[in-house]
Amino acid sequence: MQQPPDEVLIEQSKNGDMASFKQLVIRHEGKVAGVIRSMLGATAEAEDVGQEVFIRFYESLKAFRGDAQLSTYLVRIAMNLSLNELKRKKRSFLRFSPLEAATGMNDGNQTMDLQEQLQYEFARLSSEFKAVATLRLVEGYSTEETAEILKVPVGTVLSRLSRAQQKLRTALAKKLKS
Amino acid sequence: MRLDFFSPEEEMFLHSLDSRLPEGDLVKLELTLQQNSTLKSKAQQYLQLREMLMQKETDSFGPFFAERILHQIKQRTQEIDYLILFFFKKYQLVIIGIVIALLAANIFTAEELTLKSILGMGEQTIEDIISIDVYKNITE
Repeated sequence: MQQPPDEVLIEQSKNGDMASFKQLVIRHEGKVAGVIRSMLGATAEAEDVGQEVFIRFYESLKAFRGDAQLSTYLVRIAMNLSLNELKRKKRSFLRFSPLEAATGMNDGNQTMDLQEQLQYEFARLSSEFKAVATLRLVEGYSTEETAEILKVPVGTVLSRLSRAQQKLRTALAKKLKS
Repeated sequence: MRLDFFSPEEEMFLHSLDSRLPEGDLVKLELTLQQNSTLKSKAQQYLQLREMLMQKETDSFGPFFAERILHQIKQRTQEIDYLILFFFKKYQLVIIGIVIALLAANIFTAEELTLKSILGMGEQTIEDIISIDVYKNITE
């Protein structure tokens, strides 16, 4: 059976149809989870932020005019809330990266395979580098879309991407094939 | 973390992966890649990195995520309803008292008893408007 498009589900949700809203959550959960997990790691806070994204969307449903695609709109909320969460963590002097906190690791070079070490180094990137890398490299948004979601110029996206990749390559140089 | 030297060619290579380079720069980059083995090796590492970052499983917040959202929304709505009800219940006597006092004050101070005067909806007289303007002129 063909699923109704987002626009129809949004209109039905605006009229109080919770089943339609549930369908929207199921449809966009993966995208939102991808962005938040990439920013915060697989932590308990990540799910809290995920829930907050959809609750905020529900609360602003009446004002949603559909100027942007729903997935882009949700990803923007997810990214903003993730950046807020990272700022909050920084303020609380929680200097462990999510992966460090989860595994108790403090040295990225020992006993990890390449994929794990990449995750470790990715989690250590500063939030602005992580944001562009998440959208462009992990989620596959175009450079222009990344700039639009983060509300920064395309040139800034390109330079942050370069720096982020350079940091990752430098950290993993010994393990990467050359 | 100490970064290696970031050459203009390396930066140009990275930019070529995310934006469209002018034809001249592309030719120059291809030529440099053929001649510079260090850059070629770095380029391969960058491509490997990007490929690894793109390989990810479909993400999810676990089973019943949508149900948990709907439950939260319902709970929040109930909390707001409860707060409104709680506030009204707690202060209802005070609010009713204030309303009765205001109505009584209106009844005692009104020159003639009409519904409008009791409710404090007396019409503004022309003197009120003029006196406000005069006061404004003095203070300006």
